[in-house]
Amino acid sequence: MYGGGSSGTQSKRDMAIEYQAQIPILRPSIHARRANMTVKFQDLYGFTVEGNVDDVNVLNDVREKVREQGKVWWELECSKGPNWYLEDSHVFSSFMNGITLKRLIRKGIPPNLRPTVWFSLSGAAKKKSTVPDSYYRDLTSAVEDKITPATKQIDHDLPRTFPGHSWLDTPEGHAALRRVLVGYSFRDSDVGYCQGLNYVAALLLLVMKTEEDAFWMLAVLLENVLVNDCYTSNLSGCHVEQRVFKDLLTKKCPRIAAHLEAMDFDVSLVCTEWFLCLYSKSLPSETTMRIWDVLFYEGAKVLFNVALAVFKMNEEELLRAHHVGDVINVIQRTTHHLFDPDELLTVAFEKLGFMITTNISKQRKKQEPAVMAELDQRVRRLNSLNGDDKQ
Amino acid sequence: MASSGNKNINAKLVLLGDVATGKSSLVLRFVKGQFVEFQESTIGAAFFSQTVAVNDATVKFEIWDTAGQERYHSLAPMYYRGAAAAIIVYDITNQASFDRAKKWVQELQAQGNPNMVMALAGNKSDLLDARKVAAEEAQTYAQENGLFFMETSAKTATNVNDVFYEIAKRLPRLQQAPNPSGMVLVDRPADRATGASCCS
Ligand SMILES: Nc1nc2c(ncn2[C@@H]2O[C@H](COP(=O)(O)OP(=O)(O)O)[C@@H](O)[C@H]2O)c(=O)[nH]1
Ligand SMILES: [Mg+2]
Repeated sequence: MYGGGSSGTQSKRDMAIEYQAQIPILRPSIHARRANMTVKFQDLYGFTVEGNVDDVNVLNDVREKVREQGKVWWELECSKGPNWYLEDSHVFSSFMNGITLKRLIRKGIPPNLRPTVWFSLSGAAKKKSTVPDSYYRDLTSAVEDKITPATKQIDHDLPRTFPGHSWLDTPEGHAALRRVLVGYSFRDSDVGYCQGLNYVAALLLLVMKTEEDAFWMLAVLLENVLVNDCYTSNLSGCHVEQRVFKDLLTKKCPRIAAHLEAMDFDVSLVCTEWFLCLYSKSLPSETTMRIWDVLFYEGAKVLFNVALAVFKMNEEELLRAHHVGDVINVIQRTTHHLFDPDELLTVAFEKLGFMITTNISKQRKKQEPAVMAELDQRVRRLNSLNGDDKQ
Repeated sequence: MASSGNKNINAKLVLLGDVATGKSSLVLRFVKGQFVEFQESTIGAAFFSQTVAVNDATVKFEIWDTAGQERYHSLAPMYYRGAAAAIIVYDITNQASFDRAKKWVQELQAQGNPNMVMALAGNKSDLLDARKVAAEEAQTYAQENGLFFMETSAKTATNVNDVFYEIAKRLPRLQQAPNPSGMVLVDRPADRATGASCCS
């Protein structure tokens, strides 16, 4: 499958597309059905998934839906021309396209169009166009032999990033991921390398046509799509997002929020990983990709919609939970088995009522000082402890 | 906090320590009895639970295996808040990891639950040839700071379950008759300047 050829990312990518076109319908054996056993299979992006027979059936349905959605996009290209979604010469048509596009994207970008659509809609193409063509090549070759704390951490993490994946966990996969992460660590020395980005970059590599495009997607993500400072020194941006999210949960799912609060369960215990890895570690790959489809078009608040949806979908069960472990189990059981992206996205975008982006920006502004004060206080406290030490 | 039903105690336990000291390996060994060279790395912390029986009670550990670079330490309070126990892990082949462990101890003493049971685990005890931290030094430090100390190996399983059992034995069973089975309580000054102000 992935990485079968040795001639670089391009060939891997072609094979991936080909592979998708020939996905066989999975047919669990009659024995598996009878015994309700778990079966192992590879999903669209080459991950080994363990699931029961129902999961396999869901995945087959999802594949069918992906095909249908592909036809819709194909017909649009036929009637509106290729790259119609970039059209902004006429205000009116672009407005109409905007509405159509938002709806379409929430229904999913077909996997074979993802690389191009993401690249243009996210702003990555524009970002890339402002520097010389040789930028990525020059960057990676200039830093290839440098050793920094970032590169050491990256090297430590390479074999720990989706171990067992058919392409990522090969020398070729490790090398590509390393170039992207090391390259970025030199592009932005404030971020350098932050753990979590390895998962994000790995999935970008699986989706994008070239390693270079994956690099630019990572850049646009960190520099434009997500809030500032999510990954820098003390993850302050992530702390801000956690607080904004807690307020949203209280507003949108008050019963759950109150119940968890009474149990002393801090929702950040589960949300931190979601927000830092953009769900790549918690959800099946196509479901994650569907979230990223919307993320690149609508922005970081999408992460909140999804988190709220996960809680909302489990409201009754969560209200019955009385221990931390129960809450975690409910959440993990759901996220790991969300093979049908629409199940999640329908709740995320249709069942939660309006979430206005400007309000969220205001909330972020409001939380920032509190977060800074809290982080500052911790550092000062620790410093004073170490000071005592020396006396 | 350790909360007790009749004889079932739920205890939140947090593992802290430098990157690559073997926190995740210890947990995996304790919870699943396995050792895996390359595990998927954890972001923030991973949750596990495991029950042990001690004397007349069962203790269900709710374990938070924290992870990450220095910048992730800003998240630590969320994991140790309200914890009944902590295992602070260092790597016996790495002096810097021992120094870092001491800082965690300080932070917990200042911010954590004053009744928290703390264990110091010198991990990778199978790598004797590469030892950099003497067992005596760690033992002395632990004694002075009211922790109990063990050298462990997640790889060979040496002392891994023992650390968790020892913690279970030392947990104060809050609402129950005081110390029915000659339980050893942690020896630590109850009165510290910052002891009362819990984490923000
Ligand atoms: N020899 C030896 N290696 C260990 C032991 N425990 C962990 N390791 C290795 O040390 C590395 C880091 O372990 P890990 O559990 O991921 O550390 P963490 O970052 O603290 O969670 C891995 O390569 C483990 O295989 C041990 O007891 N002995
Ligand atoms: Mg770990």
